[in-house]
Amino acid sequence: MNQPARASAFDQSPRASEPSVDTVRVTDVSAGDLPELVDLSELQAAGRAIMRNIETVIDGKHEAVQIALTVLLAEGHLLIEDVPGVGKTMLAKALARSVDCTVGRIQFTPDLLPSDVTGVSVFNQGERRFEFKPGPVFANIVIGDEINRASPKTQSALLESMEERQVTVDGITYPLALPFTVIATQNPIEMEGTYALPEAQRDRFMARISMGYPDSRSELAMLDSRDTNSPLALIAAVVSGETLRAMMHTARTIFASAAVKEYAVNISRATRDDRDLRLGASPRATLQLIRAAKAQAALNGREYVLPDDIDSLAVAVLGHRLVPTSRALGHHHQDSGPVIDDIVRRILADTPVPVGETPAVHAVPVRPVGSAGQP
Amino acid sequence: MTSPATKPAPAVGFAQHPTVPIPPRPVRRRRGGPDAALWPLALTMLLLLLISCAALGPLLRGSAWWWVCAAVATAVLLGAAVLRRLGVPRRVVPFANTAVLVGTLTLLFGAGTGLFWLLPTPKTVQTFSGLVDAGVASIAQQSTPAEVTIGILFLLASGTGLIAVVMDLLAITFRWPALGAVPVLVPLLAPSFVIEDGADLPALIVAAIAFLLLLRVDVYVHRAQETRHPPVGPLAPRSYRAAQPRGPGPMWGTLAVGSIAIVSALVLGAIAPALTAGGLVSPRTGGLLFGSGVSPMISLGQDLRRPKAGPAFHYTSTGTERPYFTLLTLDEVIGLNWTARTDRTDTRNTVDDIQRPFGLAANVETTQSSTAVVIDGVNSHWLPAPARATSVEGLTGRWYWDSRTRAIASVTANTFGQKYTVSALELEPTAAQLRSSSTNFPASVQENLQLPVEPPLIIEETARQVTAGTASNYDAAVAIQNYLRSSVFTYDTEAPVEDGYDGGGVDVIGVFLQTQRGYCVHFAATMAAMARTLGIPSRVSLGYLPGVKSQDQETGAVRYDVDSHDLHAWPELYFVGIGWVRFEPTPGRGTVPNYETIVDSGTSSALPGGAAATSAPGLSPDRLADDTALEGGAAAQTASGASNLSSVVGFSALGLVLLLLPAAGRRMLRRRRLRRIRSGEAGATTAWTELQHTCRDQWIPVPDTETPRAFAARLERLGTLDAATAEALERVLLAVERSRFDRAGAPAPTLAEDLTRVVRALTRCASVGIRLRAVVLPASLFTALGALLGGERRASTIAS
Repeated sequence: MNQPARASAFDQSPRASEPSVDTVRVTDVSAGDLPELVDLSELQAAGRAIMRNIETVIDGKHEAVQIALTVLLAEGHLLIEDVPGVGKTMLAKALARSVDCTVGRIQFTPDLLPSDVTGVSVFNQGERRFEFKPGPVFANIVIGDEINRASPKTQSALLESMEERQVTVDGITYPLALPFTVIATQNPIEMEGTYALPEAQRDRFMARISMGYPDSRSELAMLDSRDTNSPLALIAAVVSGETLRAMMHTARTIFASAAVKEYAVNISRATRDDRDLRLGASPRATLQLIRAAKAQAALNGREYVLPDDIDSLAVAVLGHRLVPTSRALGHHHQDSGPVIDDIVRRILADTPVPVGETPAVHAVPVRPVGSAGQP
Repeated sequence: MTSPATKPAPAVGFAQHPTVPIPPRPVRRRRGGPDAALWPLALTMLLLLLISCAALGPLLRGSAWWWVCAAVATAVLLGAAVLRRLGVPRRVVPFANTAVLVGTLTLLFGAGTGLFWLLPTPKTVQTFSGLVDAGVASIAQQSTPAEVTIGILFLLASGTGLIAVVMDLLAITFRWPALGAVPVLVPLLAPSFVIEDGADLPALIVAAIAFLLLLRVDVYVHRAQETRHPPVGPLAPRSYRAAQPRGPGPMWGTLAVGSIAIVSALVLGAIAPALTAGGLVSPRTGGLLFGSGVSPMISLGQDLRRPKAGPAFHYTSTGTERPYFTLLTLDEVIGLNWTARTDRTDTRNTVDDIQRPFGLAANVETTQSSTAVVIDGVNSHWLPAPARATSVEGLTGRWYWDSRTRAIASVTANTFGQKYTVSALELEPTAAQLRSSSTNFPASVQENLQLPVEPPLIIEETARQVTAGTASNYDAAVAIQNYLRSSVFTYDTEAPVEDGYDGGGVDVIGVFLQTQRGYCVHFAATMAAMARTLGIPSRVSLGYLPGVKSQDQETGAVRYDVDSHDLHAWPELYFVGIGWVRFEPTPGRGTVPNYETIVDSGTSSALPGGAAATSAPGLSPDRLADDTALEGGAAAQTASGASNLSSVVGFSALGLVLLLLPAAGRRMLRRRRLRRIRSGEAGATTAWTELQHTCRDQWIPVPDTETPRAFAARLERLGTLDAATAEALERVLLAVERSRFDRAGAPAPTLAEDLTRVVRALTRCASVGIRLRAVVLPASLFTALGALLGGERRASTIAS
């Protein structure tokens, strides 16, 4: 159960190879005061820089990249679900590398144990006491590859830390880094050797995206550029961890009007009443929808959330939490993804957009909520 | 409200990122295309039309006509459905439908002249034109309820068929079911224009229910169609027009149009009688509205009661006596009512060739008078002319004289604007001649002795009592006249209406003889009826008194002005060897023909009574008050030189105003909003509301499930906005977003200009039809109305 045995499972990045060191640094930072607010135009510029950076390695997936960045900024966790070989891991790595912060990577396998994720207490012969060896989860960005290949026990170890942002080993609680974002990838559930994430655990991810196959032009371009060298090597951090924290803090101060909140609530309620859905969106889903919308508004340089933000994020944020009825799935019972996406789009199309009151009525700025993990 | 596919993927970042279009759903086609059959709609329209036709019931006798109308309506409406079912192209259906109508009419009325009974030939056209003439003539001559002659039946059937064609065209081809119901207002409202009681309320209510059913069925049918053929391609410019051509808010919009139609129908029906300004038969141009055949006596009373008289005509005369002008003569008692005999117009009796009155003995003095008449306001198919006209010159149109009553009438022409000169024969019989007249009446006047089977006994009793001891018919007539003119009776135009015995029906006469209050109609009808009980042929003439003296404004010559308060009714009694002789039983009105004076003077000089003005001496002062007021009114009319044309213009103007009312309202609303935006009183929300309403007016859908940004993006995708306008639109959009979703939206300084620019661009790019529709029928106004009625939350945005 020692670290070097699974060194191959970690990313080759020098920063990630020694997670314990970085983790300490980052944890220190997180303990400090709230970061300064950044100007929205700076935030937008930084966001664009990250996106440009990522898009040097991922062609033609603008929307997926945008949502990934939005989730990062909204301090949520991202689930990338698609067939192998379409660039899920590439996206996760590129996003992680674009920011100058610690990155942990876990390759989930059926034999992976919970302690391989969280870390383990080792007896130090010299000091004659147990010493905690932090696992890869102690990083700012944790890439969990093929999360549905691990046993449910291991999965839940990661998912618990995602929700609580802390790890408890042998009765001692260790807080996780801030920012802390898990980018998990998984294959579609019908693939062999997979354990589907239960609904409760899917709910912890802020958004789910799927990459989809690239179009022919993008695929051709990829053949030319990636034939010889790994493009990931060319990616350098464009934003410091400190700046990212400031950006996250700024995103929380984005204003969501009563009308927009009402819209989000109406959409969530509609999913609960929909005849094609067995399970609707949780209140946590509504909260995360608003939070993601704020981040997206910030990335667009806007000080306020629009219903359009909700519209454009609803499929990604709500989709993986909803369970369709078997009637809605039809005879095929295969892939619920497209069915759910259609249902969410239909609900969006049927939900009236609140008109909102006069500005004076809700001119009270909404303070950002305290902890990111709070449901 | 909207189908899912109408909402495009939201474009966040607006101009920055391309939007992801939702792939269109596959369209399954069915046989017959999207217009397939629509049976429920056709059947509902048929129901509505049949109910509306039934509303004509009070105007017509029997019910056989309804079945003919029903047959034609069924052929047309269900024929159209069959044509659609057979896959006839949408644009062709109205024409094919018209052909079906023509075929049906040829089969029913062509009398075998059609090829294979169905295809009209020149001979059929001739037959039809004859039927139209006959129909119009009998409509003009009859009173209600009218006997349905073949001509009337033809008019009814072809009218119903035309309405059916138009309904189908509007409701199904153009998919405006609310407008599709407008044509049925014609049969629904016709009774209210013709009959005093106004529109038949139960019929209106049943028709309104049928109309609502039609709207409901339409919504149902189109919903079913939309699920079958969902609107495709939300990104295709203007393609949604085809997909959703019924306009915004299907239910509210149509409901609003419908209610406005019904309300205006009721209002028009209520005010219709008040629109007759120039006299008894003024703006009733006859035709489909049944002319003035309807109880003319009651109409006459209405005209007399009107506070202000309208000018009727003026004239100069060479006669010794200023003439009474006869319009029409009621010589037959049908049921209980005095009516004009419904003879066919004899087309040989043109006014160019009027025969001398027959049966005139040689020893009766006659003089020829010439009267030049200029019509000011009378609009009628009957020509006001002195009795016993022998020639009429200067008339336009074809006019005929009735061989029995000698009334001059036209089927196609009317009096409006006519100038003509009438030569008439003035009779100057002496009292002796009248006394010695025999009672050996010719067959042609025997009918003028008929009375209803059981007339009120009081008529004959009174007649016998009054005429006791008289030796001749003439003496009896004078006795009746004197009795009616005596102080026992009071001239009163209001009492009969208040006590419910208006008109000159035989039953009314019984009441009148007891209450002894009434006006000319009652006196004339009573004297005529009493004469008949005594065996004297009689009839009632309607027309004008000689009017008041005035001066021609141009030439300064003496002329006489006649206005609507000069309308009058008087009895005429038949004397063998002399003909129809006028009497004047109405106290305080007109001149009493004094045949005794003629005997005394033996000359043709002016009569003492006749030379006097209408307010003849020897009448009690209280009875004069009315006439004096009339003179004043008439003088004022002359001074102002107002013509009765004004009433026609006014009527058209009223229609135009009603038509333009929504347009004016919409325009005012827009100006008010712009003013408030400019003054800073209102902000971006109002600007956005105005923009959305402009789009609604142009039938660009404005679903409330769409975000402002998505809506603006859709407008831009129409591809009709130039770059500068698109920028203006974005500024308006930004302002409304800030005002709705930001902490505090700063008002955009150029908001009003930007809004005006966008609205203008949208209007400019719309097609002429859409623009016209936007002006005349601004859908947003009706939506606003609906929202206000429904008390929805949208009302607040509309009001702002």
